[in-house]
Amino acid sequence: MAVKIDSDACGHIDNCPVQGLCIKLCEQGAIIEENGDVCIVPENCDDCDLCIQNCPNQAISKA
Amino acid sequence: MFNVERNGFESRKLKYDDNKCVGCGICADVCPTSSLRLGPIVPIARGLIEMDLISINSNSCVLCGLCSVACPFDALSLNIDGTDIKEMDNYPLWDVKSEVCEDDCVYCGRCFKACPREAIVFERKLPERESLVRGEIKIDDEKCIYCGFCADLCPPGAIDLSNTPNSSADFLNNSIEVDTSKCVFCGVCKRICPQDAIYEICSTCMLQDQIDVPEITGNTFIVESSCVNCSWCSEICPVDAIDIVKPFSGDLKLVETEEQVCKGDSCHACQDVCPCNAVEIVDGKAATNLSFCNLCGACITACPQNIRELTRTSMKLTNINSESWEECLNKLLNE
Repeated sequence: MAVKIDSDACGHIDNCPVQGLCIKLCEQGAIIEENGDVCIVPENCDDCDLCIQNCPNQAISKA
Repeated sequence: MFNVERNGFESRKLKYDDNKCVGCGICADVCPTSSLRLGPIVPIARGLIEMDLISINSNSCVLCGLCSVACPFDALSLNIDGTDIKEMDNYPLWDVKSEVCEDDCVYCGRCFKACPREAIVFERKLPERESLVRGEIKIDDEKCIYCGFCADLCPPGAIDLSNTPNSSADFLNNSIEVDTSKCVFCGVCKRICPQDAIYEICSTCMLQDQIDVPEITGNTFIVESSCVNCSWCSEICPVDAIDIVKPFSGDLKLVETEEQVCKGDSCHACQDVCPCNAVEIVDGKAATNLSFCNLCGACITACPQNIRELTRTSMKLTNINSESWEECLNKLLNE
């Protein structure tokens, strides 16, 4: 099922208060940094929703 | 760490100590003006963000002190004209306990190792080993070939051997000595010696009636300001010397649905925020050992699946004299 990122709300690492908190929180490698931006790897997502709950910009939701 | 202070008819000051805070959110649950907010406890617990676990809107806070009496961990305190309301007769107080009975403690130190909050101060004085054994040992320098069998096998490491040549001028740099403060007269050295160079006799068994075993002395105490009443110490204590009274009684369950299931090792948010070290991921699911849980509820807010169900049936908050305060504080209970 994975997650999706609202590009308008997302801080795109540089403007994220924690410089990519979702990347740091996800231990499954389902959210990674690619070309300086946040990138989702759906096949790695375990639907734990930790990123959804903790995104400081509330930019992540269920796909 | 924050302070909210106002001076008028009285001087009121609310102090928050982040070191004592466990991020349970009880203060925010009881605040009548919704001035307290629980921060991102999972990223904070994982060290990804450095900030206080709670924040306050100092403009809306009315400095009533409800949060400070509700906090079972004394992370918030309200002072009125310099006195903490917890020291005033008419304010509520937690009737919790964490005490070590010095008479019963045997100074094993197991509580000290088990405490998840480093809240236990422990020290002990053991007698010198040599005072508990009797015997004689000698090594004959004339017979010894400095092979080192004895030194390698000596269980307490009591034999100090040197057999490495210093130089061609001093190639017989040999010495062997027994440290009698370490030797327990077990006889292993004598048995392995190929030269019959060791004389050893153990009289510990023969003289056991004459060997006074000194009493072990020490100190074990719980630093209340760091204790979260999890009961690890009292559960692990082999002689029941520790008395813990927890703030709440009740239950904590994992209630999974078809859509919402525990993701175990992928998430482990509950385990990370638990101040009691009561949560373990077992077979891919979070398992909470209620013996160690203080029902603070930090894991409830941390769980992104929202499948942890906390039921508090009673609490040890006593001396609630105001009906409106009772109403606010009873929000912490389910029944």
